[in-house]
Amino acid sequence: MAKHRGRGIAAIEYPTGMNQNGDPSQAWIKLKMDGRVDVFAGTVDIGQGSKTVHSQIVADTLGVPMDWVTMDTSNTDSSAFCMGTFASRGTFIGGNAVRLAAEKVRNRILEIGGELLEIDPGDLEIIDGEVIAKGSPDKKIGVGDIAGAATFVKGELISGQGTALKDYATLDPETGAVTIPPHSAISYAACAVEVEVDEETGDVRVLKMSQVYDVGCAINPTMVEGQIEGGAIQGLGLGLLENCYPYYPSNDHRGGQFGSYLAPSMEDLPELECIILENPSADGPFGAKAIGEMANNAQPPAIATAIYNAVGVWVTELPITPEKVLRALEAKAAGIPESVTTGKVVRYDEALSITSHQSADAVVTFAV
Amino acid sequence: MKAVGARLPRYDAHEHVSAGTRYVDDVRIPGTLWAKALRSPHDHAEIVSIDTSAAEAMEGVHAVVTYKDVHKNVHGHIEGLGVPGDEPLFAETHVRYKGQPVAAVAADNEALAIRATEAIQVTYKELPSLLDVRKAFDGDAPQVHHWGNWYPHFEGEMDRRQIRKGDIDQAFEQADVIVQGVYRPAAIEHIPMETQVCQVVPEAGGRFVVYSATQAMYFSMGVVAAHLNWPLNKLKFVGGTTGGGFGGKVDSATETITTLLAIKSHRPVRWRWTRMEEFLCSSTRAPWHMEIADAVTKDGWILGRKMLTLHDAGAFARFSPYGVTKHAFHHTGAYTIPNLEFNGYVVYTNRVPTTAMRGFGVTSVSFATETHIERIAQTIGMDPVELRMKNATRLGDTSPNGIPYVDPSTVPVIQAISDAAGVELSAHSRTMTSAMRSGEDLPEHLVAQMGNPEDH
Amino acid sequence: MSLNITVNGASRTVNAEPLTPLLHVLREELDVLSPKAGCQNGGCGTCTVLVDGEPRRSCLLPIAAVEGAEIRTVEGLAPPGQLSPLQEAWIHHYAAQCGFCTGGFLMAATAYLENGGSDDHTEIAKALGGHVCRCTGYVKILDAVSAAARGDSFDLTTTAAGLHTTLKGVDQ
Repeated sequence: MAKHRGRGIAAIEYPTGMNQNGDPSQAWIKLKMDGRVDVFAGTVDIGQGSKTVHSQIVADTLGVPMDWVTMDTSNTDSSAFCMGTFASRGTFIGGNAVRLAAEKVRNRILEIGGELLEIDPGDLEIIDGEVIAKGSPDKKIGVGDIAGAATFVKGELISGQGTALKDYATLDPETGAVTIPPHSAISYAACAVEVEVDEETGDVRVLKMSQVYDVGCAINPTMVEGQIEGGAIQGLGLGLLENCYPYYPSNDHRGGQFGSYLAPSMEDLPELECIILENPSADGPFGAKAIGEMANNAQPPAIATAIYNAVGVWVTELPITPEKVLRALEAKAAGIPESVTTGKVVRYDEALSITSHQSADAVVTFAV
Repeated sequence: MKAVGARLPRYDAHEHVSAGTRYVDDVRIPGTLWAKALRSPHDHAEIVSIDTSAAEAMEGVHAVVTYKDVHKNVHGHIEGLGVPGDEPLFAETHVRYKGQPVAAVAADNEALAIRATEAIQVTYKELPSLLDVRKAFDGDAPQVHHWGNWYPHFEGEMDRRQIRKGDIDQAFEQADVIVQGVYRPAAIEHIPMETQVCQVVPEAGGRFVVYSATQAMYFSMGVVAAHLNWPLNKLKFVGGTTGGGFGGKVDSATETITTLLAIKSHRPVRWRWTRMEEFLCSSTRAPWHMEIADAVTKDGWILGRKMLTLHDAGAFARFSPYGVTKHAFHHTGAYTIPNLEFNGYVVYTNRVPTTAMRGFGVTSVSFATETHIERIAQTIGMDPVELRMKNATRLGDTSPNGIPYVDPSTVPVIQAISDAAGVELSAHSRTMTSAMRSGEDLPEHLVAQMGNPEDH
Repeated sequence: MSLNITVNGASRTVNAEPLTPLLHVLREELDVLSPKAGCQNGGCGTCTVLVDGEPRRSCLLPIAAVEGAEIRTVEGLAPPGQLSPLQEAWIHHYAAQCGFCTGGFLMAATAYLENGGSDDHTEIAKALGGHVCRCTGYVKILDAVSAAARGDSFDLTTTAAGLHTTLKGVDQ
């Protein structure tokens, strides 16, 4: 009896935005009379960091310091509509909404700045909170002065609104074919894990996880890492630990507390390596694609494969508990083949198949 | 200074580390009552009677609500996407899962609220329950709903989501090997550290302020308004700060019931689920049952895929039809497979309804596809990384629903992970890019499916 | 019954049944809101406070058992407007995402550091392993505690790059 090591790799893809689109996010922005920026968006920050990412997008779109931007996502009276924080849509779709709103505000700042400086707005740019003539940096006026002039002289509230919305992709019910992309972008990732499997106890320990994510462009690389790392450990939980129904499909013996439902803890942490690939999306804000949801998808298959490579058994019912590993090792030791070949068909997992569980009169089955 | 691309701290970092962030449970309104729900003790039963009179008579109990108090008890959260409602806010004639709300109370404190729920008398007649999705289609299977055990409303009238692409029969005919496997990821709990919670405050002018931990303020507001048949200006949702969600706080599980209690009691009401309710009664990630058969050549091309997916939705549809459609759209993973026959069913069982969770619809198929690819490689005796590179999505390849990929990076992510993990790639894979296929990368079976990425 | 506890240096008199959990007293009677009701069963650590310097789960502690004790919470980690080095480390290392578990982690880590804890990740994981965080995967929490243990100083206008991260572009 011994411990064996194995490595597994998996590659995945994941769409940005609600499947089939049609999911708007909106934002509106106003300037205070000193040029400070109030952003009203409906995107809920569930911890992923949308307030931070959105304020970074607004600051750079306008050309003002980051600390000029206040995000208000607090309520449905003042915040604009957002479909919600799901479908990996916050950075891309919510981000595009604040970007579009900020572009309108920027354009109006430049128009008023042009009037005040008597320069064509096309020859102006905004850098660090100042409207500056391109090529003549001494000709400039502060965004705060422009906002003040708008409020007290022109009698205008400088504001802008933006909506990010992609048309709904209708599908052919027979074939599933769509006529336009049913997503905003697709992100890609791969994961490699190394495990150690204890043949005697069935215990699996993940030693190392390396991960590569194409996120378009990282608006905030530290926060991208946060998503990758958090997702990796959730993926470890999916692969090895977590199950609402330990005797699925039975409803019995559900874990109702942390002591009886196994969530990953700090002590389950493997060595982690992250690689962020930048492959800009043409439509995303500053080239960004999604990262949030996909981050727990690649680990479970990489873990299953690593276990196979360590001890030569496939477990395809998650989570891969010590009990399942031991049962699979016992079956292997008893000489039960992992697959059955009939002609050119090689069948794995026959015992799990619907055909092994349903009665003869079942109206849906799986036949090849 | 450029903000985009910079490693800036969180916008709310100071608040988070200095007890400054106000979550819903931190909202303090004088006179707030506690809410508790009476939940079904059975997986499946008929409700014979509900008697709330003893609870209503208790001192300190200010409201008891059941289905009778709801204008529209059955509202589908994604009716707007063509998914008809099938789930009552409160059980009326049947309970279909253990933990389903039957009634709710608002009382002076939590302990009293618990006693009040215990004083509600419900008589049940137990029914057989369906738990194994593989038995849902049997003639003698217990019936979860009167219309059957699987969702019948894809595109209005289809009982499954299907994908048909290319010529599946020809692919299976031409295959050297057909590799079959079954993949079953489990239900898991979202475990936000903040349990489901909301607080509803009636205002003098007749509006109701809903402090909510929802992931989607406007969506949840729409759910409450639909149940109550109210215009949106009667409600104000206050939120935007949530103690973790992962998909589980899209359900809007607390807002309508708490609002009903606030309406009836004319008092602010707070409903915070216990961790046990969160584990046992809140929705989970769905368990999935996936069967794949791939038609493969001995040199590692995947010519075609037949797939059956049974999505264990639990007792009601919620977002499951959406999830299965997304699953179908991505059921070839990061690879191009030109000939497809996919059938996906949303199957009802007598367990807690499942919902969106991080990776909704795709986490399952990532597990199935990637594990299956390894088995294909093992079956034909080929390196699994080379097999992946060969079939990796490239510019001009099309997705299961016929859309050309515009910025695929299966190739570079596999190259990068191979470098990181010390995996040797062949010279061909080492220099491969995502460019349009040609030469040995463009076999006959991939020609017909090609599209022009410039079109999108 | 009436009893006395000290919360963040201030003496407080509480009227409560003796078995009332300290968590309930802090949140519902004293408006000390940093300890959170994450599970109320000792399983998650979001309610952790220091009782005479030791990290304890306030949801499991009857108020009668802490009479006369010195209780510390996040509200007392630093004077108003200031942050402790550990709090600064939390910001610089991006150790909080949703923030709900943060208070409990900060108190347990404060005790770990005050007891001379080192920057060794295995030691930190032993001390904090009973705390659940669902967002971060614990990586940056470990980084923050170990940086604070080393006595690093922190630039709060930026965050630290992950120790094992590379950023690179794709040639298409």
